[in-house]
Amino acid sequence: MLRFVARRFASLLAVLLAVTALAFGAMNVLGDPLFNVVGFIASVDCDAVEAGLVEDVSGQTAGGRGDCEVIAEARREHHLDRALPVRYGYWLSDIVRGDFGTSFKNELPVSDVLRDKLPKSLLLMGVAQAIAVGVAVPWAVAAAYRAHRSFDRASTVGSFGLLAVPNFALGVILFYLFVVRWQVFDSRYDDTDLASRLRSMVLPGLTLGLPAAAVYQRLLRTDLLTTMQEDFVHMARAKGMSDRWIMFRHVLRPSLFSMVTVFGLSTAGMIGGSLVAEQIFTIPGIGRALVEAVIRDDFPIVLGGVVVVATGFVVVNFVVDLLYSLIDPRVRADD
Amino acid sequence: MSGGTVGTLLEVRDLHTTFSIPAGDVRAVRGVSFDLERGRTLGIVGESGSGKTVLARSIMRLNIGTNVTTTGTATFDGRDVLSLPHAAMQDLWGPEMAMVFQDPMTALNPLVRVGRQLTEHLRHHLGVSKAEADRTAVELLREVRIPEPEARLRAYPHELSGGMRQRVCIAIALACAPSLLFADEPTTALDVTVQHQILNLLGREQADRDMAMVLVTHDLGVVAGRTDETLVMYAGTVVEQAPTRALFADMRHPYSEALLRSIPRTNRPSHTRLAAITGRPPDLIAPPAGCAFSPRCPYAQDRCHEEAPPLAPSGGDASHAFACWTPVGSPEAAESFARNVADGLPSAVAVDLASGGAS
Ligand SMILES: Nc1ncnc2c1ncn2[C@@H]1O[C@H](COP(=O)(O)OP(=O)(O)O)[C@@H](O)[C@H]1O
Ligand SMILES: [Mg+2]
Repeated sequence: MLRFVARRFASLLAVLLAVTALAFGAMNVLGDPLFNVVGFIASVDCDAVEAGLVEDVSGQTAGGRGDCEVIAEARREHHLDRALPVRYGYWLSDIVRGDFGTSFKNELPVSDVLRDKLPKSLLLMGVAQAIAVGVAVPWAVAAAYRAHRSFDRASTVGSFGLLAVPNFALGVILFYLFVVRWQVFDSRYDDTDLASRLRSMVLPGLTLGLPAAAVYQRLLRTDLLTTMQEDFVHMARAKGMSDRWIMFRHVLRPSLFSMVTVFGLSTAGMIGGSLVAEQIFTIPGIGRALVEAVIRDDFPIVLGGVVVVATGFVVVNFVVDLLYSLIDPRVRADD
Repeated sequence: MSGGTVGTLLEVRDLHTTFSIPAGDVRAVRGVSFDLERGRTLGIVGESGSGKTVLARSIMRLNIGTNVTTTGTATFDGRDVLSLPHAAMQDLWGPEMAMVFQDPMTALNPLVRVGRQLTEHLRHHLGVSKAEADRTAVELLREVRIPEPEARLRAYPHELSGGMRQRVCIAIALACAPSLLFADEPTTALDVTVQHQILNLLGREQADRDMAMVLVTHDLGVVAGRTDETLVMYAGTVVEQAPTRALFADMRHPYSEALLRSIPRTNRPSHTRLAAITGRPPDLIAPPAGCAFSPRCPYAQDRCHEEAPPLAPSGGDASHAFACWTPVGSPEAAESFARNVADGLPSAVAVDLASGGAS
């Protein structure tokens, strides 16, 4: 067990290194960090100003505290005159010390921004996955119980239908029906207490959760049907156990593996989906913050968000591995 | 007669089971009839694919799927199980009929502790408390000679050896004291060394509990001395049916004789190919018109290929029936065998060589 945790932790570090290096490189190559810190004066040709050939933007000549000093200070502070890998090293050592830096745009510490936005996104994910699993398990059991009959056929059509609708469209449809048309829910995110927060999560949770439920239902139904062919299921029948007992005590648990695996993997997809859901339902979560940060080239926020998202993904899949061993005693034995 | 200790427990008449698959109708069981008295044992013998498992599962109504049709009757203790509603079957399974499956590696749920697999039906059918069910389970495990039964209750199946798992399966089948036990090749998946132990265990339990048993096997050697009656199956039909003693004393069907010749020696692995029978079993979607065994039979004549022989007794012994135009030991058989060897028919030549070229 200890070895297992250690291995997982090592893979978490590897994933984080790879993902942040990629994000760091991309941000620096695609955007101009100097421009993002100092704004349009980044284009001032300081060598020419030093030489007294031109005036800088604020009209000062060589010697005064002008744009060029601002630029020089920014370069020093953000190590902009160093090579990219070195800068990444600086950033990394800050992160290790728990310092995510400050936003380029509003000077807020990145950790404060994350602390404010992250719980909302986590709640959204939690609600979405709970809806997905809560819908998928009974749905798959009912479909497998009478496989190839009318309910099963109808749910095949239904689940493919859900999968075919892009999630922004599903979100807009839900928004239109429940907010605009029937006015069951408010259009704005309500942060007063847990109940109101949960209420605000229903529609975005459905937007993310229903397509996931469709995927889980397809997988689980197939695995249930496969398990129902197993000898031990025949054996349970030959013992005279009821169909319901057999389904829940013998068939369901061995059939959970694919669903649990995809549960872990779909977390990544949901993070993408949450950008859309948070936008439609105006939830001030990490997804929206990331979208805005990317648009405004706010490196520290983007990188902080990437760290959080990648960590979350690895942690969820770690939990999934623990779930395997909870489901199957043979996995425990191997470890 | 119902409930007594003598009389017929199971009466099967003209049982047919067919699977509809895209390629056509697989006629896995084609007209099987037999009787089984209370407390007696029946052996069902045949090569793999001859329909033994399908027959046993048809009688127990365990063939699941929408593509399977079973016709005929199987009267168990006065009730035709083939026409019973599912709920009534659920009351029979466990306390009346039970089954030991071929492969103990797959017959136990790998995710459920042995204890619960042993007690769930006890509690369901007999309504006993958990503590009482656990006590019964320990007794059952002791009865099937599993060491440290208390500790075994908490074990998962993968923590037990194949032989131990089959003992657990037997204990599970016996738990609700059924009056009929189907044992479908209970030793085929096991090491040769434990095969005898398991067969002896089954025999002992059968006798002690005065329980009727159907022992299914591909090995004619297994039924010898262990069953009262034997039914030899080929391609879904019964080709020879007799009290086991009479069968071994006077084997009449060429297929039974071929099976006898191919009994695996205990010093060879259990899955050694049935070397003495040349050719393959027939296609069950379109079985041959005449005797199903005729393409592989060393004694076959033209008539065998055209007309299916009826299953009927011959001579003085009414209990010994077989379906053959040229039964072993008859002048017709000797005559057609000589002709087939002369014609170079592979099935005849192989037998001729094996017996040292006597003709
Ligand atoms: N579910 C099924 N669908 C189609 N064919 C089947 C099915 N089950 C068994 N069969 C066929 O029935 C025949 C008899 O099988 P089986 O009873 O398992 O043989 P045995 O137990 O004697 O080895 C085989 O040819 C097998 O392919
Ligand atoms: Mg079989």
